[in-house]
Amino acid sequence: MLARLAENLFWAGRYVERAEDTARMVDVTYHTLLESPQGRVSQSWEQLLEVLHLQQLYGEQPIEPERAVEFLVIDRDNPGSIAACITRARENVRSVRELVSSELWESVNDLHLTLRSRDMRQELLDQPFQLLRWIRRDCMTIYGVASETMPRDDVWRFMALGRLLERAEMTCRLIDVRYGQLESIVNASPRGPAAGAETALGAGRTDFHHWTAVLKSASALEAYRRRYRSSMDPADVVEFLLLEPDLPRSVVFCLTGAMHQLEALSGGAPSPATRRLGRATSSLQYRDVTDLFDVGLHEFLDGVQDQVGDVAETVASEFFRHQPTGAMHAIAAG
Amino acid sequence: MRLDIRYTTRFRYAGQVTESQNELRACPTTDDHQWLVHYDVTTFPTSRVQSYLDHWGTRVDTFGVRLPHDRLEVVATATVETGSRPQDPPSLPLSALQDSRFRDEHLEFLQTSAHVAWGDPVAATAADCATRAGEDAVDVIMAVHECVAGLEFQAGTTQVGTPVDDVLAAGAGVCQDFAHLAIAMYRHLGIPARYVSGYLFTVDDATGEDSVTDEVEVETHAWIEAALPGWGWLALDPTNAQEVGERHVTIGRGRDYDDVSPFRGVFTGRQDHELDVAVTMRRLALEPLGDIPGGFMRQVAQQQQ
Amino acid sequence: MGDLFSDYTLDGFFDEVFEATGVRPHYRGVVERLRYLSSADLERREVIRDGIFRSAGITFTVYGDDDGIERTFPMDLLPRLIPANEWDVIERGVVQRVTALNRFLEDLYAGEQAAVHDGVVPRWLVHTAEGFRREAFGIAVPHAARCLVSGVDLVRDHEGTYRVLEDNLRNPSGISYVLENRAAMTRVLPVAFAEQRVRPVDHYGPMLLRALRSVAPPSAGENPLAVVLTPGVYNSAYFEHAFLARQMGIQLVEGRDLVVDEHVVYMRTTKGLERVDVIYRRIDDDFLDPVVFRPDSALGVPGLLSAARAGNVTIANAVGNGVADDKAVYAFVPDMIRFYLGEEPILPNVQTYLLWDDDQRAAVLDRLGELVVKPVAESGGYGLLIGPHATDEEVEAFRGRITDDPRGYIAQEIVALSRHPTLIGDRMEGRHIDLRPFAISGEQVEVIPGGLTRVALKRGSLVVNSSQGGGSKDTWVLQADAPTTRSDVSATEREV
Repeated sequence: MLARLAENLFWAGRYVERAEDTARMVDVTYHTLLESPQGRVSQSWEQLLEVLHLQQLYGEQPIEPERAVEFLVIDRDNPGSIAACITRARENVRSVRELVSSELWESVNDLHLTLRSRDMRQELLDQPFQLLRWIRRDCMTIYGVASETMPRDDVWRFMALGRLLERAEMTCRLIDVRYGQLESIVNASPRGPAAGAETALGAGRTDFHHWTAVLKSASALEAYRRRYRSSMDPADVVEFLLLEPDLPRSVVFCLTGAMHQLEALSGGAPSPATRRLGRATSSLQYRDVTDLFDVGLHEFLDGVQDQVGDVAETVASEFFRHQPTGAMHAIAAG
Repeated sequence: MRLDIRYTTRFRYAGQVTESQNELRACPTTDDHQWLVHYDVTTFPTSRVQSYLDHWGTRVDTFGVRLPHDRLEVVATATVETGSRPQDPPSLPLSALQDSRFRDEHLEFLQTSAHVAWGDPVAATAADCATRAGEDAVDVIMAVHECVAGLEFQAGTTQVGTPVDDVLAAGAGVCQDFAHLAIAMYRHLGIPARYVSGYLFTVDDATGEDSVTDEVEVETHAWIEAALPGWGWLALDPTNAQEVGERHVTIGRGRDYDDVSPFRGVFTGRQDHELDVAVTMRRLALEPLGDIPGGFMRQVAQQQQ
Repeated sequence: MGDLFSDYTLDGFFDEVFEATGVRPHYRGVVERLRYLSSADLERREVIRDGIFRSAGITFTVYGDDDGIERTFPMDLLPRLIPANEWDVIERGVVQRVTALNRFLEDLYAGEQAAVHDGVVPRWLVHTAEGFRREAFGIAVPHAARCLVSGVDLVRDHEGTYRVLEDNLRNPSGISYVLENRAAMTRVLPVAFAEQRVRPVDHYGPMLLRALRSVAPPSAGENPLAVVLTPGVYNSAYFEHAFLARQMGIQLVEGRDLVVDEHVVYMRTTKGLERVDVIYRRIDDDFLDPVVFRPDSALGVPGLLSAARAGNVTIANAVGNGVADDKAVYAFVPDMIRFYLGEEPILPNVQTYLLWDDDQRAAVLDRLGELVVKPVAESGGYGLLIGPHATDEEVEAFRGRITDDPRGYIAQEIVALSRHPTLIGDRMEGRHIDLRPFAISGEQVEVIPGGLTRVALKRGSLVVNSSQGGGSKDTWVLQADAPTTRSDVSATEREV
């Protein structure tokens, strides 16, 4: 396959996933705020922007909920906004239209056109939950359509690989955004930051509603309940979202899935990318998570994201490397 | 005069670049006035050089370096034997230039081209020269030549692409500007004129004499040729206010600079680079070969094709 | 029951379907099938047609539309029929013409330039043609198949004589419509189609691939690799580029997918570099290789021409074909046929005036309002003056342009293009049409039966180009000759 098209497929998978997961994170942040005191609102959004690495793009302006949501959902100047992700996903799918099923192209194009035609600003104000749920559902429709209409060849594999690696990273962030928000609530408490870490732990361990929201936003609440019944221990939640091999949004599920795709793409032979991914997966699989809250969950999640990022870069250099980097320039001499 | 020529182009890039593809026009041609004895091109990083004769009869060396590199060096070496040329054009009325067959054959050198597009100032100056010179074609050619030769040689006032009207207004330029301006004036007057790219062997600055066996540093040079019906091309060097002789080594001819530009190419990566072009010439202390038989020259030229 | 043709009028034009006495014999079957269709029936068939086109994604992009809204090129429900004996003339004429043009181009770029030396085509005319590419000098093409795909635009005049209006030798588009129109027609009018014994067109893809592989350089080996090179998804003909790649089962690439190494072209794949032997390019000459042409072009492949010259890749269509479809050079094609083939042209040109000739120009300027004026290097129907349809200001503007740049324009007598009944709303009206047969040059020149019939949908308009609001018809070349006898018309006698 052409290296450029493989890369576009990979990014098509990533962008749709990023759009969907951003919708999930905006949703969970909203949800939390319904139960929070007024003063926490801007901090929560700030945390979300930080976890998504978008705080610099957001700029110096005060963080008001309406503006933050607009920035994350419909602002086309923000390359991480849902609308921008879908536009870029569409551009990528458009360039590989000859390779993918027409149903897949139509579903991506439909979402793109709808996002452009609707009065999103008003809808965000009136019915944010409905809108976010609708975006999530349409993103899932795209995967469903792809899954039901495309043969499991390299075209499918590059797209699936992009999607799974993106989801692994985003699930880390989903856990992190929730955890960070709890931390900030405690840090801002009258007792001061000195007591923060310990109290965050306490808050994290006890805040039933908040962890319910995290599970829900990962579509994992029912599965969790079946596994753990009524207990809501944050360590269990984190373990479930990180390590549960059968949960489609868990990090381990994504990484093992990515490994299947990579192995097929490399024809079964070990490659730098499979080795890296193998290392990342096994170091996670055999991690005891009970002490994660004590050693620092945030740092740990950052580490996992870095490893996933390394895998993505290795994939790029292994499969997409034949493309030159940089622009072309003309030269002349007398 | 037997001359050794070494033409070196060096690019130093700010970072690693890739996929460089280039064309070099540095090879002396073989014609009635000069004979190419030897020519060779090497590049660093090494590459396979593919050569051909272009539409204008100029040898072009093409080569590329795909893998990452941070410098590119191209060295062309040539040995050429030059002879003096007859500069005794017959007296011809200007009207002889109107012959339709002559015009048809020379149409490419009568029209505007990328670097030879002129406006009213150049047209007026050309018309002045013609009026002063009278009805004889050679007189008109020489009048334009002297007019352009009156400009001042000055590097830095112009660049590739400066319009000829601006060159005229500035009254200064480099050899390409002298050539383009003269060509524009000739074409305006209906005299076919073409651009010649080449090398000029200059005397030693210190002694004012030819140095023999010592290398002289020069630059690539440009001059012009104007066509006369039934006689051929009259070669003039307006930059140096002289006729073209055995010190001039022709690389190629075209409508203007674009057709014979010595080096052009593209690469991918960061644009920043340093460029260093050096031309050295050396006169070989050999007995002159005497007149070079024209038939032999043609044979050599055919072999090259 | 209504009759689609009840108010149909000929208005003095040559009509493809009707002659003075009634329906032409070879059209009777189709006309009888369509004549009494109810409007509901028509609507149903239009819905089927539109569905087929939409799902096939047969569209062209309108430039400057950032939503990439894609339009379809509307196909009329009534097909255009060409009987075997007429097609025989067209086919032989197009093969003859394209053969001569190939010979001329090969001779010009890689030969002795005999036509120029012998004054068949004026040297200065070649040298001033916008499409002349000195950069391509010395690059030979196997079998001299320089016009690997060409489209020769034909019109029928008031007597029904087929004449060549212009040649398209660079990147003629439209073949995708020919194939898709056929696919749609066999489903929209299956019975009428089956009755007619129509010659198929669906072997175009294999035919094109065979030609592409036949021009592979000798160094390519037994199994040459061909690709389609497109400027990208934003090009208005991208659909066709993708369509052709699919029809041939070969890779569709952009310039950045290719790289030249040591004068060999490679394709960048996930498994490394793969050698490419033949490039069917749908990029204009000027954008093909930034080393040689426009240095700012990012659409092309640096070093491509050096690879072609080294004999490691063949570029199709060849570089520089524009010199031969220059509309002033067009006037000399009949002479090229005589010169290179020693034959008389089978298909005549339209009477053309060359405006650099003082006498011809003066005569043209005297009757500018009666003629068609065309810029020599444009295609797609842009920049035309159609005298009788133009305002006085437009005519005067062209007078100025011609005087300033006589080499830049030609003038032609207006051809009263033949008309064909076309469904407008719920009835048939006469509309002017032309025909673009497609020829493929490989080891020999072949013509796909039929071609693209374009329809000027605007009443009275003579401009059929898709970019100028044209539509199309499926073109059926019949296995059988048209009956030569005037048959009994009483059964189908109509007001026409």
